[in-house]
Order: sequence, then structure tokens, then C-alpha cells
Amino acid sequence: MMTSGVFFRTRKYFRKKDNARMLLLLVPGLVVMGMFTFYPIIKMFVMSFFDWKIGYNQVSPFVGIKNYLTVFSDPIAGMALANTMFYAVVTVPGQMILGLMVALLINEIRKFSVTFRLLYYLPVITSWVVVALLFRYIFSNQGLLNYFLTDVFKWIPEHIGWLSTRWPAMTAMTLLGIWKGIGWNMVIFLAALQAVPEEYYEAASIDGAGSIQKFFHITLPNIKGTILFCTVMLIIGAFNTYTPIAVITGGNPAHQTDVVLTWTYYQTFSSYKMGYAAALSFVVAAIVAVIAVILFKVLRPERM
Amino acid sequence: MKKLIYSILILSLLLSVMGLNVVAATEPVTIQFWHNYDAGVGQIDVLNQLIAQFKETNPGIKVNQVYLEWQALKNNVVAGATTGILPDVLRGDIGFVPQFQALNVLVEMDTVFPDYVDVADAVLEAPNSTAKASDHYYGIASNTNTKILYYNKNLVTTVPTTLDEMWATAEKISSKDVIGFCEAWMGGWNLCQYIWSYGGDILAPDYSTATGYINSSIAVAVIQKLADLYAVGAFSGPTIDPGALPDTDGMGTGKYAMTIDGPWKAKDLSTKYPDLQYGTVQMPAGPAGSIGVLGGEDFMMFKTSDAAHQDATWKFIRFMIGKDAQIEMAKAGQMPVNKEALADKEVLEVMPLLSIFSNALQTCKARPVTPKWGDMEGIINTKATEAVLGQKSVQTAMNEAAAEINALLQ
Repeated sequence: MMTSGVFFRTRKYFRKKDNARMLLLLVPGLVVMGMFTFYPIIKMFVMSFFDWKIGYNQVSPFVGIKNYLTVFSDPIAGMALANTMFYAVVTVPGQMILGLMVALLINEIRKFSVTFRLLYYLPVITSWVVVALLFRYIFSNQGLLNYFLTDVFKWIPEHIGWLSTRWPAMTAMTLLGIWKGIGWNMVIFLAALQAVPEEYYEAASIDGAGSIQKFFHITLPNIKGTILFCTVMLIIGAFNTYTPIAVITGGNPAHQTDVVLTWTYYQTFSSYKMGYAAALSFVVAAIVAVIAVILFKVLRPERM
Repeated sequence: MKKLIYSILILSLLLSVMGLNVVAATEPVTIQFWHNYDAGVGQIDVLNQLIAQFKETNPGIKVNQVYLEWQALKNNVVAGATTGILPDVLRGDIGFVPQFQALNVLVEMDTVFPDYVDVADAVLEAPNSTAKASDHYYGIASNTNTKILYYNKNLVTTVPTTLDEMWATAEKISSKDVIGFCEAWMGGWNLCQYIWSYGGDILAPDYSTATGYINSSIAVAVIQKLADLYAVGAFSGPTIDPGALPDTDGMGTGKYAMTIDGPWKAKDLSTKYPDLQYGTVQMPAGPAGSIGVLGGEDFMMFKTSDAAHQDATWKFIRFMIGKDAQIEMAKAGQMPVNKEALADKEVLEVMPLLSIFSNALQTCKARPVTPKWGDMEGIINTKATEAVLGQKSVQTAMNEAAAEINALLQ
């Protein structure tokens, strides 16, 4: 009875011309999303429970949660996840703080504002491969940084292997991530800053508030929604990092600088372990989802 | 009248269908050929000339060649195994044969073509052995190579004749500005030659276990030697140390004094660093001899092709491994597998290092021909790197490698 009620209400809803037109306009987008987003996600979820074979006419045996257990017991997957978390923990606040600082400065000037915005945004639109190669050149043993430290300033007696071991290499790659993301954050925060009503600052000035007090009590609360948006987007971006690691170290030495995406790629295209790679992808997606939910609860606008 | 119209219509339809069949029968068969010949040294130009020659003598066959870089070649076949979009013939790394055979996409050539054995008789046996998996041939050798010692003449004044001498030389000449020896990677391609030359092996001959082989005292001693050299700055490479110079640039700029590599290194060094004074010699011998790693490429055919395409492809492959085509490819740096071509004067002239490589090819050995070799090599690279970097003892690292490889063999 309830089902027929829903059916008749739905039919009545789409009998109205506007609603039917709306549905018609939505359908192409839904079809594309269905084919290229929802279907691959569902298919990959199914694959994660099989020892997925990609050979011609090969049968894939069902293995249950074996792929997930393999992911949780794989030391390299654990290392890749730790590297990714390190990358996220350093690059996300790094980009946001520096991006906000630049936005605050640009918001205060009138002359050359557009020029500065353009210059800060240039790294964002530069190819990841090009800048990764550049950073590799800077940080390599015979690179620019060691040249200045040993040959020009003579601060150290011999070259430092910045990319030779895990944590220095990860640090170099996070510096790239921060440098490349400052411009994007600057643009987003600039738009948010310009939406803060000027009267709030005027009223605060009348009450004797200083710059720092205005920043913490007016600026930050009013751009909290933007902070939440940037944090979530940057965390998703950090977990999707691939190019800088692939170009700068390739995951070397011995997979110690791999991140989740480079390790997933290796498992997929070198070892053909599609089921394992699918399981790893879902584990990472679950982690990102949990982080996003926590952030939404903590940074909910009405709380501040 | 109506009957006449119907008759004319049916007759014209029949005639057009017959005409189509005639047209279809006379249209050439087009075969898709995927490869990774090097355009930078003129190999694709030579390939196009050979394809034109082949077409003259085989007007019913058209060859459509598609260049794909090494990894893309492999990835496209992996994707094609599911989609069914595969070429008729592929010329790719010998390591692809067992991997693609495991995907169930390769034609069992010795079964499908009765003259396979006779045709294969014209090529070197060792390179062609890389096309064999599970008692059948899933390809045929296209070109071969192995590795020799390249050394900087200004840095290495006494050429080592044994591996022990080579390590001692590397340590002696190393300094703040020079690293005595470089290996680009720590996989089987790089380590097998040393382990074999010292009398060891990677796997049991029947591939049943790695215990007692990859973690044997011989293998451990070899990797310990590399670890000791690394500790004193006499050994490095871009995968052990991502900040290190790539092997060619290191050799060219005098950072690395010695490296062991294939025939392409000569071309790379001559092109990028024409002023470099370098020498070449067969890989120095260990106690068990100078046993290099066999490399090269094979031609492979795919099950998705119909009979007409497979026949056309086989004709093309027979042409490409024939003496004339092999000589032409030799001029672009491809070492022939055709026995007659190897002895040809033209080839000896264009490949001055051929005599050194030919000697090395007599004693070299193929890596294990198993679908899991790619994974095993990854394990060897990871564990050997950890050992060389001093992150764990060599014995511990190799014991772990043996355990992980054994898990793959089950």
C-alpha cells in the first residue's frame, strides 16, 4: 500500500512539466556519473573479494576478506600509509597556513594585487612532472642545494643525500607539495576574506581590538566554512598523491618512500594483484571518509 | 511488371554481396604490430623500410606498426587480456613471455605452426629458450643481448680480469668525487650475473624453492661485498640512492668509474658524452666463470587473432628473423639472433663490440622463465637494497627474500 502511494506521488510529481524537464536535464550527468564513478566503485568493491584474474577467459576465485587481511599484514602497505599520513600532516596545514598568510597580505593591498595573485598561482598550474623533476634536481646529491651548501657557502664538508633515505626524501617531497599548493589556498582564502563584512573590523577597532585579536575573533570564525572545505579537499588530495613520488624517488630505496597510490599502482600493473589493489583502495577510502567525518563534526560552522 | 522489379532487386543484391566477398577476399590482411624499437637510434626508420620490403613480396599483407614504451607495452597487453583488444604480434622483453603466457593470451607457436622448429633452427638456441614456458614455445627470439664491463679509461688504468679484482679496483679508485662501481638496480637483472659467476643460483633448477639458493652462502657473500663497497662509498646506483646520478650520466661525467650493462650503453655514451674515453671488456669472471644475464626481445603472437591474421603474422615474423632483416636491424644497434647474420661482415663492421658480446653470449644464462619472475625480482631488489643500505644483515634480508619467493612458488 505504501509502495503504491510512493509510486502515485512520484508519477504525479513528474507529470508536472518542469519536474520532467529537470529530470531530463539531470539524466545525462547521472548516466556519465553512473558509468565512470558509481559503476567502477561498485565493481572495484566486488573485485576486492576475489583473487581477480585479468587473463583471457580466466576465472577469478572468491577469496572473501583475504585481500583485506593481506593489506593489513603487508609491511610495505603499512609503510606507504605512514608515508601518506606524514605527507598529509605536513602539506595540509603547511599549504593552508602559508596560503592564508599570502591571502591576508594580498587582501590588504590595492596596487599589483592581480600580479601577486598570478605569480602565486603559477606553481599551481605548472605541470607536476616538470616541478617534480626540478625538485629532484635541487635535492639530488649533485644538485643545487648541495652545491650551495658545500661549494658556495661551505657550510658542510660533503654532500648530503637528501633523497637517499626515507624521511629526508619524504620531507623534500612534502616541500614540493606545500610550494605547489600555496597558490590554490591563497585564491580560496582570498575569496573568503573578501566576503567578511568590513563593519565587523570597524566595530572591533572602535572597541580597541588589535590586528591579532581581529584575526582570531573575526577573520577565523567567518572563514571557518572555507577552512573546513580546504582541509577536506587537501586531505583527499594528499591521499591521492602520486606524481611527485613517482618522479622524484620512484618509491626507492626499496619501497621506503612509496605512498598508497604508488604502492597500489605497483601492485596493479607490476604484480597484477587487482584484488589486493582494490582492497587497499577501499581501506584508504575508508580512512579518508573517517577523517572527513571527524573534521565535519569538529569544524561545524555553528559551533564556533 | 512487379515480378520483374523484384527479380532485378534480388539479383542486384546478390551481385553486390558477391562483389563484397570478392573485394573482401582481395583486400590485404592488416596485422597490428606493437613494439618498443628505439626511435632515437633509428630503429623505427629501419623497421618502416623492412615493412615496405615485406609488403613488396607479400602484397596481401599490410603491417601496421605501433610504438609503445616498455611499461606501456606491458600494461596494454594486461588491459587487452580483459578487453580482447590485442595486437597480432608484439616484439617485447623476453620477461614478458611467461607473464603473458600466464594471462592465457599467447599463441602456442610450436603447436600452431608445424614449421616452427625448422624456423627456430636459424636463430641462436639460448635466446630462443626465453620463449619457452611449460614445455611449449610462446614466442621466437627477435634480438638478443647481454652485459659487458664498461670502464672509464682515465680512472681504471689496469683492467680487471676477475670479479674480485673488479671490486678491489672499485674500492681503490673511489674518492669524494668518484664512485668505483655503479649498478642501476638491485634486481635479478643486476645480481644474477655475480651470483652465478661465483657458483650460486637464485632458485632450484626445477623452480621448487629459493631456500638454499637466494639465501645461500654464495649469494649472501656477493651481496655482502656490495654492502661493504657501499659503506665505503665505492658502490652506488639510482635505485639504492634516489639522489645519485643515473648510470649513464654518472659514467659520462666521470662520477662512476665502472658499470656492467648492455650494448645500448655504448650508443648512449657515444651520443651523450662523445668525449668520454671508455673501454669495454667481457664481464670479469668469478670462480665459476663469466656468466652474464641473457637479455633481449621476443616476437609473440596472440590468441585473439583469427587464422588468416595468424598466418600473415607468422610470415612477417619469419621475414623479421631472416638474415637480411636482422642485418638491417643490426645497423641500428639490435644484436641479431640469426646465426648467419651474426657472422656477416656488415654486422661486424657496424657493431664493433659484437665480438665481445658474442663471446659473452656463449656463456650467459637466462633468468628463470616463470610468470612470477617479475614479483620475485621485485622481492630480490627490495631485500638486497635493504641489505646494502645496512638496514638489516644480509643473511636476514636474504632469508626473508627466500621466504617471500617460496610463498610465490606455492
